[in-house]
Amino acid sequence: MGSEHLSKQYDNELETLRSGVLQMGGLVESQIRGAIEAFAHGNQELIDQVIANEVRVNECEVQIDDDCSHIIVKRQPAASDLRLIMAISKTVTDLERIGDEAEKIARMSRQIHERGHADLHRFATVRHAADIALSMLRQALDAFARLDAADAASIIRQDVAIDTEFRSILRQLITFMMEDPRTISTALEIVWIAKAIERIGDHAKNIAEDVIYIVKGTDVRHTAVEIVEREALS
Amino acid sequence: MDLYTRRLLINRFNLIVSLLTMLFGLFWLGWILFTLFKAGFGGLSAKLFLEMTPPPGSDGGLLNAIMGSLLMGAAGTLLGTPVGIMAGIYLAEFGSRGWLAPVTRFISDILLSAPSIVVGLFIYEAYVVRVGHFSGWAGAFALALIVVPVVIRTTENMLRLVPDSLREAAAALGAPQWKVIVLVTVRAAKAGIITGILLAIARISGETAPLLFTSLNNQFWTSNMNAPMANLPVVIFQFAMSPYEDWHKLAWAGALLITLSVLALNVFARVFFRNRTATY
Amino acid sequence: MNAAVLQPVEQALTQKIQVKNLNFYYGKFQALKSINLDITERKVTAFIGPSGCGKSTLLRTFNRMYALYPNQEAQGEILLDGENILDPSQDLNRLRAKVGMVFQKPTPFPMSIHDNIAFGVRLYESLSPREMEERVEWALRKAALWEEVKDKLKQSGTSLSGGQQQRLCIARGIAVKPEVLLLDEPASALDPISTGRIEELVHELKNDYTIVIVTHNMQQAARVSDYTAYMYLGEMVEFGVTDEVFIKPKKKETEDYITGRFG
Repeated sequence: MGSEHLSKQYDNELETLRSGVLQMGGLVESQIRGAIEAFAHGNQELIDQVIANEVRVNECEVQIDDDCSHIIVKRQPAASDLRLIMAISKTVTDLERIGDEAEKIARMSRQIHERGHADLHRFATVRHAADIALSMLRQALDAFARLDAADAASIIRQDVAIDTEFRSILRQLITFMMEDPRTISTALEIVWIAKAIERIGDHAKNIAEDVIYIVKGTDVRHTAVEIVEREALS
Repeated sequence: MDLYTRRLLINRFNLIVSLLTMLFGLFWLGWILFTLFKAGFGGLSAKLFLEMTPPPGSDGGLLNAIMGSLLMGAAGTLLGTPVGIMAGIYLAEFGSRGWLAPVTRFISDILLSAPSIVVGLFIYEAYVVRVGHFSGWAGAFALALIVVPVVIRTTENMLRLVPDSLREAAAALGAPQWKVIVLVTVRAAKAGIITGILLAIARISGETAPLLFTSLNNQFWTSNMNAPMANLPVVIFQFAMSPYEDWHKLAWAGALLITLSVLALNVFARVFFRNRTATY
Repeated sequence: MNAAVLQPVEQALTQKIQVKNLNFYYGKFQALKSINLDITERKVTAFIGPSGCGKSTLLRTFNRMYALYPNQEAQGEILLDGENILDPSQDLNRLRAKVGMVFQKPTPFPMSIHDNIAFGVRLYESLSPREMEERVEWALRKAALWEEVKDKLKQSGTSLSGGQQQRLCIARGIAVKPEVLLLDEPASALDPISTGRIEELVHELKNDYTIVIVTHNMQQAARVSDYTAYMYLGEMVEFGVTDEVFIKPKKKETEDYITGRFG
């Protein structure tokens, strides 16, 4: 964020905070990947691992929020530093929720595979949506690391794509359920999974909005995409 | 030996030397005081304050001399103090711009260290000769000329001690400069200025030389300032130089009297005004 | 039936003081360079910046306090209610009655508390003893000092504690009912509780007075002021609404100073 503070301590504290966020982000990313893998192939160990790691994700959130409080009380941050701390606090909340969604996906995948209804290759769209969500998150974390507002703005557009995917998945599942009522339980679970993925996309979008706030100082939550892009590129 | 011990020893050595030199100085002072007391104490009595200076051989006191000193001292102070204070105020408050202030200060400093006999001679020439006779007024003038530079110096110094922030605070309320000076600055320095005046009085109490040529002396009682006037220092001078024993006694008593009054004035000045100086 | 939508009446904000192209010299040294800024009426404007940036110098031009010293000179224009106060024909004492000042170090006069406050009032108004007492009480109440000194008005002003002395100086300043109040680091010599009281005071006073405050404590400027000016080496670097300056400053230099990134 430009030149260094007079206090090296302060710089170190901020650096620790930033890398903490990125580490948590990495953890959450691998959670998603693991959950989707589990959905596709039903790997029991993987599912257990994802569920176990959820604890670590929560611990990260608590730790980073605590660090933020410390910095606020010690340093009384202003301007860009202030926006950074506020944004980090919100970002870790979003990351933690993403972690929750990943855990939900894992749990539901277990139920699907225990029931034994395969034919999951018919749900490649779900996989596709998950890939978009994952790439959004990756991009958002990347934009955060480099504090790139333009990059962050492009992520927000991609959220629209996920919403479209979600609706098409829904239509597909309704068709399957009507064809074969035995698949209803599984289909419903897949709906929840798709919803979880859609939510992951939303959270990634939030993180992108936070990045724009840090860099530009404008709060772009709840504003139209065009306005956001204009703000980010100005 | 190590550095610490060496410094300790040097420190002790220096302390002892300072102590010794102080005792050396005090010793002489003590001896003077002791001699004064021994010789003069016997002469201290009510008579001293009730009777006039006697001719040799008879009994008497120092009343006229005391009276004369008081009168001339008061007059000299009353004449010199206002001049000194005004000049001191000018130097402290207006002296930053122009040439008048440094010149005034310079002249005042010279006058301060001028031998008092020169002052006496000056008044003799400028006034006594013109008027044709010695007088108490002449003595008062001479004393005033000694008071003025002392009061200038102390007033200026005390006023300078008043921090600028106080002046600024008064000016910031819209007070014109003269009001700032009179109502705030001088008031703040009041204790110090009065102490300065008291010290000037103490200074002139013992001045002999200027009075020699101006007020001369007078054996008898007089409260007429326009005539020669008795005063303690000259009386002491006269009586001490004489061969008469009783005059000597009176001289010692007078010397003791002057010393005691100066001492009392100093102590008073210090004690009374010690708590009055505002802390900034 | 549609309910009428009531809009709050926008108060036209007048500029109480307008500084135009102000240059200031201590002898040969130029302490202020081409300063342009407007002080809004009945708002608090803060000057911040590192030591030696000229913020106190600028403040002291508003009541021409520099005129007390030789070799200090101001060039340019400073308009107070439209009149240029740098004009040689300006009556300095009248100006200072309109533009009051409180200094960094508390400076109670060597007189009673009552007289301290009456001093300024007596300069330009003649009040009966009753009226004077009322004015003194009013000023002390405004300065949040009345309760603490109401029983000892005859005592010397110097007998109060540091925080009380400073509030006394503030009471003294407002007793003359100036239009503008200049505060030069008023709380820097005080403990946190006294500082807090002074800040509360500034907040109340701004309803009636235009206030300009110089402070080296940035958080104080953020808490207390409506507008903030950041100065550096005699120049006005940035001037704007306080919240914006502290959350989203326009200039990088401002950002660096505020976040402690001086390098």
